[in-house]
Amino acid sequence: MNRRFTALIPLLTAAAALAVAPTVSDDEVSARKNALELAGAYSNDGFKLRDGHWSGPIKPGEGKVVQVNLYAGNEYFFAVASTEKAKKMAITAYDETGTQLEITDPYQDGAKAAIGFSPLASGPYYVKVEEVEGEPTAYCLVCSYK
Amino acid sequence: MRFFALRFVLFLRHPRFIFPVDYRRSPRASRKRPVQIPSDSALDTNRANRLSNPMLRLNRNFAASLGLLCFAGLGLAETAPLSPEQVKAAVRTDDFTIPTPGEFMAALNKTGKPDWASKARPPIPTNFSSRAQQAMNLGTLIADGYIAVEAEDKQSVKNIGKDIIDLAKPLGVKEEIVNRGKSLTEFADDGQWDVLREELEATQNEVKGKFAETADTDLITLVTVGAWARATEVVAGLIAAKFSPESAKLVRQPGIVEFLSTKLDALPDKLRDDPAVKRARVKLMELKSAVTFPRETTPDQAQIKKIASLAGELVKEIAKKDLK
Repeated sequence: MNRRFTALIPLLTAAAALAVAPTVSDDEVSARKNALELAGAYSNDGFKLRDGHWSGPIKPGEGKVVQVNLYAGNEYFFAVASTEKAKKMAITAYDETGTQLEITDPYQDGAKAAIGFSPLASGPYYVKVEEVEGEPTAYCLVCSYK
Repeated sequence: MRFFALRFVLFLRHPRFIFPVDYRRSPRASRKRPVQIPSDSALDTNRANRLSNPMLRLNRNFAASLGLLCFAGLGLAETAPLSPEQVKAAVRTDDFTIPTPGEFMAALNKTGKPDWASKARPPIPTNFSSRAQQAMNLGTLIADGYIAVEAEDKQSVKNIGKDIIDLAKPLGVKEEIVNRGKSLTEFADDGQWDVLREELEATQNEVKGKFAETADTDLITLVTVGAWARATEVVAGLIAAKFSPESAKLVRQPGIVEFLSTKLDALPDKLRDDPAVKRARVKLMELKSAVTFPRETTPDQAQIKKIASLAGELVKEIAKKDLK
């Protein structure tokens, strides 16, 4: 009995590890690829892509908000992308009081959207991504700065 | 007055009283749209609901106005502010919410030509017994790497790369870091400073990624604390040395300290009781009040010096061997 149980330990450990390990869906991988492609188009302008990203599942009509800490003087570019399941993605930015920032030339093309701005004050800001139309899928938000 | 009151009451009870002229029969209306009055109008018991009814026309105008207002409301909804609840519930993650030291330094570079080389520090020990202390010092070393890159000091980049590998070894991330360390040396030799910045960020994220895969997720915050503290010490020190209101505003970082303090408070008891973590928590509380000020406020030189001093104390404290 003990031997049987001992033999099961590696299996149980592997199962537990799989259960704990964060799973990334195919949609999330695809969304990240699209977001990186969009942000990459701006790298020629001197924008450096942050290594981190923010991703997860999203449903139509659902908005997700993340806090970002930005420095005055830097220019920031946020790009969100989803998969083909999303017909339209939207992205907006807010200051720490929750007031929406005016973005002069936002980009929107189906499942991809992006905004760029230079914060006037250093501190926390909020970026909201939303699936306006489409089916439940995944999104990925990346940030570049210069 | 009574006349208007009477008309109002009549309007409420019998709207047609307010329209003494039948629109359908007015010359203007007939020019526009000849209306066929049904011959059986006397038998019509539902006249009030006809589309041609003047009251209904009023209602339609009202409905149209209401519709326009709703559309305007929808338009406003797109620019609607976030509610305090949404702000409070916003997601905060280590790799997206917290900027890298490089980003902080890039912002300072825009205000002038800081003397980055003056902020290099002597090598620190790399053989701490506490894992928490190892993680925090790994963070400070990564920030040192950024400083050496800004100073374009090839030898310092190589030395720091070696120290990073030495410190990463007992944390179980040597395999990942060794290759990065080699890259740091190669890029430093070639003077590829932009690539080095990316490499340092990737190094930090690789270490954190490894911690996330194992049971060491709590160490991620400690690396971030170390990196942020060292970057703040250096940036605030440079601002204080060459003070300008524009650069002084850069040290405003309430969101970052709040995030880090919250994360440290949530550490497991064993890690929270680590002497290095205890000291970091105390210093972060002091730093929190120093870097939290209104957006419109510009801190003076003395305040900037205080921030540099507090962050410097934190960095020195956690680099001490045999902390108790």
